[in-house]
Amino acid sequence: MSDRLWIVPGPASVGSRFGWVRRALALIGRTAHVHARFVLFLASLAIGVIRDAVRPAAWRRTVRSEFRRALRQAVGGGLSTVLVTAALIGLIMVSQALYWLGEAGQRELIGPVLVIVLVREVTPLLVGVIVLGRSGVVVVSEIGELQIGGQVRTLVAQGLDPFLLLVLPRACALAIGSFTLGILFVLAALLSGFLAGSLLGAVGISIWSFLDRVLLAMHPIDFAVFPAKMFVIGLLIALTCFLTGLTATAQDELADLLPRGFVRGVVAILLASVVLSLAV
Amino acid sequence: MDSGLPILELAGAQARSDADEVLAPKIDLRLGAGEFVLVDARHSARPTSLADLCCGLLPLAAGSVHFLGRDWSAMPQDYAAALRGRIGRVFLSGSWIGFIDIAANIMLPSLHHTRDDPIALRERATSLSCFFGLPGLPLVRPSELTASDLARAACVRAFLGEPELVLLESPVQGRFTSLVAPLLDALASARDRGAAAIWFTRSDLVWHDPSMPATHRLRLGEHGLVST
Repeated sequence: MSDRLWIVPGPASVGSRFGWVRRALALIGRTAHVHARFVLFLASLAIGVIRDAVRPAAWRRTVRSEFRRALRQAVGGGLSTVLVTAALIGLIMVSQALYWLGEAGQRELIGPVLVIVLVREVTPLLVGVIVLGRSGVVVVSEIGELQIGGQVRTLVAQGLDPFLLLVLPRACALAIGSFTLGILFVLAALLSGFLAGSLLGAVGISIWSFLDRVLLAMHPIDFAVFPAKMFVIGLLIALTCFLTGLTATAQDELADLLPRGFVRGVVAILLASVVLSLAV
Repeated sequence: MDSGLPILELAGAQARSDADEVLAPKIDLRLGAGEFVLVDARHSARPTSLADLCCGLLPLAAGSVHFLGRDWSAMPQDYAAALRGRIGRVFLSGSWIGFIDIAANIMLPSLHHTRDDPIALRERATSLSCFFGLPGLPLVRPSELTASDLARAACVRAFLGEPELVLLESPVQGRFTSLVAPLLDALASARDRGAAAIWFTRSDLVWHDPSMPATHRLRLGEHGLVST
């Protein structure tokens, strides 16, 4: 019978002077152990995905089929939310930047400001959160159900490698989906911002000239960092959500798993974004 | 038993258990081509463990398990996975992936392990579905199918890839006895091809059925497999 159903007196509770020290150390050790194990699992999965993604033998037709399904879900599921959010960011941020920099006579700063704020920082964060909400929680739910229901073991018994069939296609689909949605987000935000700025009478340049300034403000490193951020964020969302689902136990329910996966995903997005920003 | 190379051979195979569990029994079983073993699992808590042992899924504390002459424990993972594709199995629980339809669930192992034409595979799955009493290949999710139809679909999946070994974990629950006749026909065809089969049953009806064409009848208990 499970110990969780009973409260039993432990040795530490019987008159030990340093019992609380032992309990505190045990708590710290247990927490550190759980988190360190999760991070190590995450790292090993990431290495496995990178290794197998370029191995043609790994892409059997069942894996390709799962990849198509996951990619459709990631891009199709998040597209409308990304476009609406980008339009709102364009209205709020881009048009305001156009207006106030124009008022201050600093129009030449429009490009650098938008590249640093919109392209480097805001887009990866917001697209990451949208992908996490639209696709990451689906991964937690699907994998969690498979793990709790014993289907992961059934797959192994049929000679189907859960890593190839479940992890690889989802990780690649979310990485590519994040990058695609990130590009669409930037374009939609710039266009809606320009449109709003034009309606406010704050823009004295053509759309081509505006886009040209943004492009000219981008350094060569930006062309590497932005895709890197989007790919890494998508990959980490898939892997954290997969691991959260896979570590589910029979006592876990989806109501426990989903918030756990969401919080881990948010932490992964923020860490990836900060680390890659600092690396530039 | 057959004097040639056995399909499955368990020689003193004992699954490694956790320290706090009762020690798993040692299992001896030699299954040649065309043989069919009926195992009484009515009083056993671990028919699934024995099926897992046959598939090389459990680490061993002692003995060995050979499938088609190859030792599971000495095989690379990829190789073992490919060999498991030659085992057709009806699972006691956890059979179905909920987010894809039954047709995809049924064809998944064959699509993964072979390069068979998917259209031909679908046709074979459809005709097997009809053979097992379904109106056709089900295109709905597992949650939308009745338990009886899921049992039939599980048989379709087990026999679709023309397996060398068929493992049936209680495929016929007491109330689905109409499945017995097509299942025995499918087993007969598979045995004619040279496949071996193990049927784990928890049903009194099946165990006491004299028409069951088993070459051996064994009982699974605390001390392993014993003849009856």
